[in-house]
Amino acid sequence: MVDVREVKEKAFIVISSLLAILAVLPIFHIIFSVLYRGIPPILAAGMGFLTEVPPPPGGGIGGIGPSLVGTFMLALTSSLIGAPLSFASALFSVEFPDNPISKGVRTLSKALLQIPSILVGMLVYTLVVVPMGRFSMLAGSVALAIMMIPYVTTYVEEALESVPKTYKEAGYSLGFSRTQVVFKISVSIAKRGILTGLLMGFAKVTGETAPLLFTVGKQRQEISLDPLGYSDSISLLIFDFIQTPYANWHEVAWGAALVLTSIFLTIFLMSRSLTRRVVL
Amino acid sequence: MRKVALLTENLGVKIGGKEILRNLNIELPERRILAVMGPSGSGKSTLLRAVNRLLDTVPSCEVSGRVVIHGVDAYSSDPYKVRRLTGMVFQVPNPFPNMSIYDNVAIGPKLNGLVKDRRELDDLVRWALERAMLWDEVRERLKDPPHKLSGGQQQRLCLARALALRPKLLLLDEPTANVDPINAAKIEEALRSLVETQEISIIFVTHTPHQAMRISDYVAFLYMGELVEFGLTQEIALNPKHELTRRFLKGEV
Repeated sequence: MVDVREVKEKAFIVISSLLAILAVLPIFHIIFSVLYRGIPPILAAGMGFLTEVPPPPGGGIGGIGPSLVGTFMLALTSSLIGAPLSFASALFSVEFPDNPISKGVRTLSKALLQIPSILVGMLVYTLVVVPMGRFSMLAGSVALAIMMIPYVTTYVEEALESVPKTYKEAGYSLGFSRTQVVFKISVSIAKRGILTGLLMGFAKVTGETAPLLFTVGKQRQEISLDPLGYSDSISLLIFDFIQTPYANWHEVAWGAALVLTSIFLTIFLMSRSLTRRVVL
Repeated sequence: MRKVALLTENLGVKIGGKEILRNLNIELPERRILAVMGPSGSGKSTLLRAVNRLLDTVPSCEVSGRVVIHGVDAYSSDPYKVRRLTGMVFQVPNPFPNMSIYDNVAIGPKLNGLVKDRRELDDLVRWALERAMLWDEVRERLKDPPHKLSGGQQQRLCLARALALRPKLLLLDEPTANVDPINAAKIEEALRSLVETQEISIIFVTHTPHQAMRISDYVAFLYMGELVEFGLTQEIALNPKHELTRRFLKGEV
């Protein structure tokens, strides 16, 4: 005698595991193909791949030095603009939830989360690039900061909100000022979540392409640290090189994709292990 | 004549327009324990939070009447000063999870600038932990995080944290509701010895009449936000004046 309920349960488990595998399959495919096609050019170029300038069409592998440095500089400068603003607005909206400004900030940041990134590029083009009369790292980092702020704000808000109210009450009952309660208790308890949010924001902007298309220029001939000069990013280089007919540029793009993936994964793993978990 | 530790005059609390407490008049002499009893939702916790002005942090909350703690009119002074004058222990143990056992006790005096140097702080932490009857259990592991302690030990840590500010008045919100009987007995013993040896008075919220009778000198019985009966524990235990109190003590309300 077959038990119908048991058969149903088995079938359900099989179907849901198959669907779960189907869902994560693309991730493995990405990692596999990036490794498969990215390792050969990097092996061919050696360490120079991280420091050299890109090759001319049809001639060798060279490197992605200027784009790699540009990516870091852009992520760093955009974090310098975006992180304090995100942190402050998250803190404000959590501490003063009924204030009309913080309600506005909250709604706006949720809406900005889904804004098409190309629009951010256009906005910064009109607001920064046109008045300055040129592309620049600064314009790129402003665009990336706008991408980052709603993202990090949401992360930090959630981290702060997950701190149980009873700890803040305990702080107030000890005669602490609001600032002391916020920084010594809320922020300190939520520091892992906050740091994760900041690092994820950093990781997110290292991969952005569209906001940079008409903001940073494409400085690939030398490594530049000038915030007012042209810059570049790995994602932009991949976007450009993969569209050309040159086989060696395709290889550079795959190598660059592997570097970008490694940066992203490193930051992701760092954010997991950097801070000790606070056990509530 | 003993000094007055706590005096409330026509104390009333409204939260979001709803009346939580009405016309409360209590006078507690110094170095005595007051047990506040009453069924759930009778306003016991709100009373404690009105005394140390923790209600200030609740939006849309109005407090009327007067609260005087050791001669200090709470609602016409600085709320932070009022809270330093009073210590509070909560229903669920809530030691700060981001600090060590030592720091949990030390942070109050440190942030309030009550100590001059490290030695004085060490002495104060030890004193507070001893008074909370926890010192012997944690002296070897002051650097551990508090989640390594049992629930009852955590609650005694919270008591030590409150004591480290050397408060005149201690407010406890059902401190033994979430701990085992042995730890509950230790906490009760600690409270009894506090009022006997220190310049301290205690208000203690409980919903079990037995506990109220066991450790208190005075009893206040709250029902639906009103003070039904207030007086010496012995008198109320033997001869409650009000029918509601009689029924509560018998476990019928």
